Amino acid sequence: MTRRRWALAGIAVASLVWALGGEWVSIHAGIAENHFLDALAGLSFFVAGIVALDRRQGNRIGPLMLASGASWFCGNWENLRWPVWGAPLLVFGSATAAFVAHVALGYSNGRLATRYERVTVAATYVGTAGAMLGFVLTDDPRVAGCVRDCPWAPVIWSSQSAADAFEWVDEHGAYVLVPMFVIALWLRWRRSTPAQRRYLTPLWVAAGILAGVYLISAIVPASPHGFLRLLSDFQALLEICVPAVFLAGLLSARLAQSAVGSLVVDLQAPRPTGELRALIAAALGDPSVDIVYAVDDGGWIQADGSPALLPTDESGPSARQVTVIEREQRRLAALIHDPAVDPGLVRAVAAAAGMAVENERLHAQVRAQLDEVRASRSRIVQAGDDERRRVERDLHDGAQQRLVTLSLAMHAARRQLTAGHADAVADTLALASDELRLAIDELRELARGLHPVILTDEGLGPALQSLADRAAVPVSVDRVPEHRFPPTIESTVYFVVSEALANIGKYADASDASIHVTHDAAALIVEVRDNGCGGADPARGSGLRGLSDRVAAVNGRMTVVSPVGAGTTVRVVLPGSARADRVDLVQRDSTGTPVGAAPHWTPGGTP
Amino acid sequence: MRSLLIVDDHAGFRMWAREVLRHEGFDVVGEATDGLSAIDAVHDLHPEVVLLDIQLPDMSGFEVAERIAAQTSVVLTSSRSAADYGPAVVRSPAVGFMAKSDLTGAAMAALLDPAQS
Repeated sequence: MTRRRWALAGIAVASLVWALGGEWVSIHAGIAENHFLDALAGLSFFVAGIVALDRRQGNRIGPLMLASGASWFCGNWENLRWPVWGAPLLVFGSATAAFVAHVALGYSNGRLATRYERVTVAATYVGTAGAMLGFVLTDDPRVAGCVRDCPWAPVIWSSQSAADAFEWVDEHGAYVLVPMFVIALWLRWRRSTPAQRRYLTPLWVAAGILAGVYLISAIVPASPHGFLRLLSDFQALLEICVPAVFLAGLLSARLAQSAVGSLVVDLQAPRPTGELRALIAAALGDPSVDIVYAVDDGGWIQADGSPALLPTDESGPSARQVTVIEREQRRLAALIHDPAVDPGLVRAVAAAAGMAVENERLHAQVRAQLDEVRASRSRIVQAGDDERRRVERDLHDGAQQRLVTLSLAMHAARRQLTAGHADAVADTLALASDELRLAIDELRELARGLHPVILTDEGLGPALQSLADRAAVPVSVDRVPEHRFPPTIESTVYFVVSEALANIGKYADASDASIHVTHDAAALIVEVRDNGCGGADPARGSGLRGLSDRVAAVNGRMTVVSPVGAGTTVRVVLPGSARADRVDLVQRDSTGTPVGAAPHWTPGGTP
Repeated sequence: MRSLLIVDDHAGFRMWAREVLRHEGFDVVGEATDGLSAIDAVHDLHPEVVLLDIQLPDMSGFEVAERIAAQTSVVLTSSRSAADYGPAVVRSPAVGFMAKSDLTGAAMAALLDPAQS
């Protein structure tokens, strides 16, 4: 038996001693009441509390139930007339109704969801135990003629008027507290989910009737005879209902686990997308349940592949409970369900549906990737269109304008020549020559933007160095493999670095940057780092997004790490791009000059 | 000699267009670099002809033409061809379109006085 079970057994024995001892004291004191019913009511709280402690660890209902049971028998023990213990027993014993109210409003986890519920329960404690505490501290039983074995210890501040006031509150507080409690029950009913109502309705009906009986008891003085005795017995019966209904709720949760068996059978049959949610909803008895699936980047997606978020509000009236389903310490999915659903049942359903959840997760992930591929393809087409427009605009605004101007200049020169203005012709031709040179420069820049010839002719190292040389900040280029890669890989690396350096120049406010290219059998890894202001968001800039699409198109992955104030690192991993026909890692300084070059080697050949 | 206003945001074109046209029958009374200043210049200078670039930094040459065509003869120009603009050139109140590469005083005169040409 575990230590926990031993502790529960100890609580059970102590509860039994407290209950039977209390009844024994009460019988020997000659108290006229239905002792069997009284013991049964009190013990039912103990039983419910122990079961709750066993089944729902960390749930406050268990301790509250035990407190209710302990409070229940305080009145019996009070008949011992022990001077020291009389006052605590009287105070704690008067709190039974407050504990029951706390259980009813806090069911099923013991937490009070709204301010009104908290105020109501606090008022109930104050109006019962609080009033009794005030009474025992101010009332002096010796004034009423008690000389020995008085029911409570000597008072702290004797004041008959204060004692009378506390006693009045104790006796008449129910006039206010019962309506407050009933309103709280009604409000909770209104905002409850169907699953909560199914669990809570019997408890609330019993608690509501019990509240009414408390009210009648407050109005009509207690009596051991006739109708009032019957009312007292009825009250005890109703008080049994509260723990009994709670126990029934626990048992029904256990019975509901038989639904897990049906779920296992249902999961064998083929089902359309999203049907798993319906099956799990049926097994949990919670039509509001939702399933989201984990993806590798730490996010969540729906069954149809669309992005999803976990609810953040896990307290309050509209709270949703999140149960994460894991397998081999890897998150598969999360069930978002009503907090009223038994956690054990949720765990059982999650375990039963584990394989189906894994399959559904894979399907959802494929759908999400398909959506991303479609979106990426659309963005690539859009980027192509944008690029063509940019080239047309650059041509129109740049070289084309200069050639037009040149045409006009030639026209003017011809006229000047015809008119015999040789000096003017020379000036015009000089201007035309400048214009022509500018047009050539602009065309060269444009052509480099379309595809850099240095990349085609010389490879990545010189091409990246040329980018570094033209960057707005000093850029060092480290460890660039000198052997050639497939053209798509080289152009991807080139344009990633080009865009990253352009962004550094425009936005980073950096004083220097670096380019690192590493390569092994598995992947080519490119990193562009700067020491600027950081805060780059790949989701916002179309440039970075376009690069990410370009990288994804060659099965690569791009990440941007850009904490505010701590620079930006753009990292691209291009798996499977290895071509180890010649490995040659060269360290270059900031001018691009190789430093300490590693010896060249060619597998099976001479360097 | 017709008075003429050149509207273009490219300084090189304005310089050489002025050089060509002022020796070939036009009195270049002013230059403007965008649409709004072109409209102001038309009000101030009352040119008989406006050589108006279609692509201006602040507004389209077609829009400028709509606003000044009642006061002057507008000749649209561009380094693109008229076909690149489709029916917009025909719908425009301008008297015609002249590609920048074809610009001469004689061509302008022919466009403005088709009967004489």
